[in-house]
Amino acid sequence: MDEKVPRSNIIETEIPMGTVHPAALEPYRVRFFVEDEIVQEAEITIGVNHRGIERIMEGLPVEKANSLTEKICGICSNSHIWNSCRTAEIGLGIEIPERANYIRVIMGELERLHSHFLYLAHGCEVLSHETFSMRVFYLREIVMELLAMIGGNRVQYGCSVLGGVRPRCDLDEAKLLRLKEDMDKLEEGLTGFVERFINDSIVMSRITGIGVLPQKQAIELAVTGPTLRATGVARDLRTTMFEYDDFDFNVITQPDGDVKSNLVMRALESFESIKIIRQAIANIPEGKIVNRDWEMFDTDIIESYIEVPRGTLYHSYALESGRVRHCIIRTPSMANIGAMQYACIGDQITDAQLCIVQCDPCFTCTDRAIEIIRR
Amino acid sequence: MGIKSFSRARAIHVMLVYTGGCNGCDIEIVNSILSPRFDAEQYNVFLTWNPREADVLVVTGPVTHLNRKPLEEIYNAIPNPKLVVAAGSCALMGGVYKNCYGDIPSEEIEGPVENIIPVNAKIPGCAVRPQDVLAGVVSLLPILLDAD
Repeated sequence: MDEKVPRSNIIETEIPMGTVHPAALEPYRVRFFVEDEIVQEAEITIGVNHRGIERIMEGLPVEKANSLTEKICGICSNSHIWNSCRTAEIGLGIEIPERANYIRVIMGELERLHSHFLYLAHGCEVLSHETFSMRVFYLREIVMELLAMIGGNRVQYGCSVLGGVRPRCDLDEAKLLRLKEDMDKLEEGLTGFVERFINDSIVMSRITGIGVLPQKQAIELAVTGPTLRATGVARDLRTTMFEYDDFDFNVITQPDGDVKSNLVMRALESFESIKIIRQAIANIPEGKIVNRDWEMFDTDIIESYIEVPRGTLYHSYALESGRVRHCIIRTPSMANIGAMQYACIGDQITDAQLCIVQCDPCFTCTDRAIEIIRR
Repeated sequence: MGIKSFSRARAIHVMLVYTGGCNGCDIEIVNSILSPRFDAEQYNVFLTWNPREADVLVVTGPVTHLNRKPLEEIYNAIPNPKLVVAAGSCALMGGVYKNCYGDIPSEEIEGPVENIIPVNAKIPGCAVRPQDVLAGVVSLLPILLDAD
């Protein structure tokens, strides 16, 4: 299949879902146009969650604005504060100590683990396979407790500050030891889960070939992150980020772009994250965790892209006497909405919600004020 | 204890409504009830998504303008006796989003939840801890069980 074409001219029935719907935790609205129970076109409407974080950030001191970016999303909160600090660091030319860099990578990968586990658990729940869902939720608790141990909170841990990480997040011997032990536990649990999941013929027959997103179309829609890699394109921003220079990891891809590829991709990517955390624990350098030796000056608009669990995250702002101006944030789910709409086409209406969930939606981050400029 | 309370005590149904926060509280609440670590189901507390079935409504997030009507509709659809728990600092006082336009009242945020529907219990925290959610829901149960 090269391309999926929506057939918007023949609309027999419309099935709306939302804004509050059991399968999707977040409020959003989706309209399915259905013929003989086959989805012909899907249309996702967001905007229910819009709160205007960029507007609040405008004119705040940059340190305050950084910690505010955490409140954009409760799943990938660390990515937002990391990228926001990184933006200012690029603009002001602040050098980050090596140890702080390692701690940031550890937090980033732990967050990727908890996000992917949440995805797997939620995916299995939408599949109505509660046993698998519970197993992954149980594994996820290990990661959540590690995050609470390092950052002091289970969800928003505020690890990065301008120039490094905050003192609470420094890793001593005991914390490193626990991190190491829990990684072993996690790998064992995940291996068991993946073996059971892949060898379960009932689940596999349910998810193979469902919600296919063709590779050509994925590239056309500018899909990012694991959803793109599940269609066979090896594109990962971590390979170009200087933070990950010291680490050795593989970019995982899957061939088909269906629900099976997506689920298996996330599971295999979690193993890579465990690998990165192990390398970080083994090689973590001694030294300072924060660089306070920098000066504030006015800058032009600064841009920063990083790879977060769901794809590419973009932050940009200018600094004017220490305050944030012209803040723009673009989250990965924004790009993936197109993928969600196209993945449903041609499948049964009962699988439609699964096809949306396979693209790992996070509509809370996505509700930003956007302006499309056509040139 | 009447027969209604007797049967209700064996199946307390919690419904979660999410009105535009950051997703953090939301996942922690689902976690606290569903995940095997905290497992509220062992205390006969279940998660439901059907307002006609629910006894306790847990609301998270500052209520955004577009979410006000769905929230009211869901509240009206729940049969009596019903209880409302506001969870997280956004639901309690609007969180960081409330005064985003300074002195000018924000048209975007309608919250806190108290402005829209009566609230019986408040759970503070950003994000709420699952233990607190369990404690909050359990502290309300006497009201529910003495209702009839």
